Amino acid sequence: MTERESLKETFAAYARTGDIVLRDQLVASHMGLAAYLARRFANRGQPLEDLTQVAALGLLKAVDRFDPGLQVEFSTYATTTIVGELKRYLRDKGWAVRAPRRMQELYLNLSQVVDGLGQELGRSPTIPELAAEVEASEEEVLEALEAGQAYRFASLDAPAPNGGDGEPVAESLGKEDEGLVRAEQRATLAPLLDQLTDRQREIVHLRFFRGLTQSEIAHSLGISQMQVSRLLARSVAQLRASAKDSGSQEDA
Amino acid sequence: MARVTAAGLAGRLGFSYDEVEDLRLAIDELCFGLTGPTGRHGTVELRYLMDEGSLVVEGLGHFLEDLAPIMLTEMSRVILSALVDEHDLASGPDGPLFRLIKRRHSNAALAGD
Repeated sequence: MTERESLKETFAAYARTGDIVLRDQLVASHMGLAAYLARRFANRGQPLEDLTQVAALGLLKAVDRFDPGLQVEFSTYATTTIVGELKRYLRDKGWAVRAPRRMQELYLNLSQVVDGLGQELGRSPTIPELAAEVEASEEEVLEALEAGQAYRFASLDAPAPNGGDGEPVAESLGKEDEGLVRAEQRATLAPLLDQLTDRQREIVHLRFFRGLTQSEIAHSLGISQMQVSRLLARSVAQLRASAKDSGSQEDA
Repeated sequence: MARVTAAGLAGRLGFSYDEVEDLRLAIDELCFGLTGPTGRHGTVELRYLMDEGSLVVEGLGHFLEDLAPIMLTEMSRVILSALVDEHDLASGPDGPLFRLIKRRHSNAALAGD
């Protein structure tokens, strides 16, 4: 009996009996597919572990709902179910403030397009170019970018997007930099910057002290430009909050 | 609102995504400088001046209460210097005001012509 025939028989037996042991076998034999699909979504700001769990849940649903009498391979059926589950998760869980679904989807689409088009053009794309690429109006693109500020930030434990099995982003950041230390000491800004995470400090340093553009920072750190944008906005907001807490506005 | 309007105008001027993002952050920072760390009651009047390849944004605060002296923090100055070509925040005769100039440095607009 081939593996395919064996699988079909197991599905038929599970459909007949509802035996949990059979279901566990079916789930276990397709966990590789779930993990693969989870990795495909790993650069969108959510930890890979969470995505893998969501994909496993999608796989479980697919096993429960699959009709072995249909003329379709289980892997095809399961892929659709798992991807749907992952997209729903990213759409619902990734937003700190609920934005309209169209804007959420457009923002997620833009987060891919900004980097891809930037590489293709060899420069940062314009708003009209982004709008044409995602087939939306310029106003919609701007609205989506604004809504994107409500999107949560990537976990430090999330794997780096360039290569699913790469070291977590956090591992590659936060290394001591003499230039940064000098700049901080000169401007006496170290106490403020110390309140940021290592990654935030690194990005703040590259953008505001070294003058790299957001796209250059994204390329340098192997993360998306949208992530750089969100982290910068968040860092600046934190720095402002620190100024508010201290209740003072310094003079130079 | 201030951010979205500026981003829309910058988009029309052919600013790159990088430059639009800088502009949005800079406006945040200057509005914060204008209203201060604790906020102020009143309104902010905004003016946008478009030139070929540059955008000027001016904000004038009309606040109900007497103000402490308006000035940027050292951190704000560092941030704004990296984001825009020129910036200023000061107390004027009609109230506190800010002004920024962001010029298009990328060749995106030319490439799109």
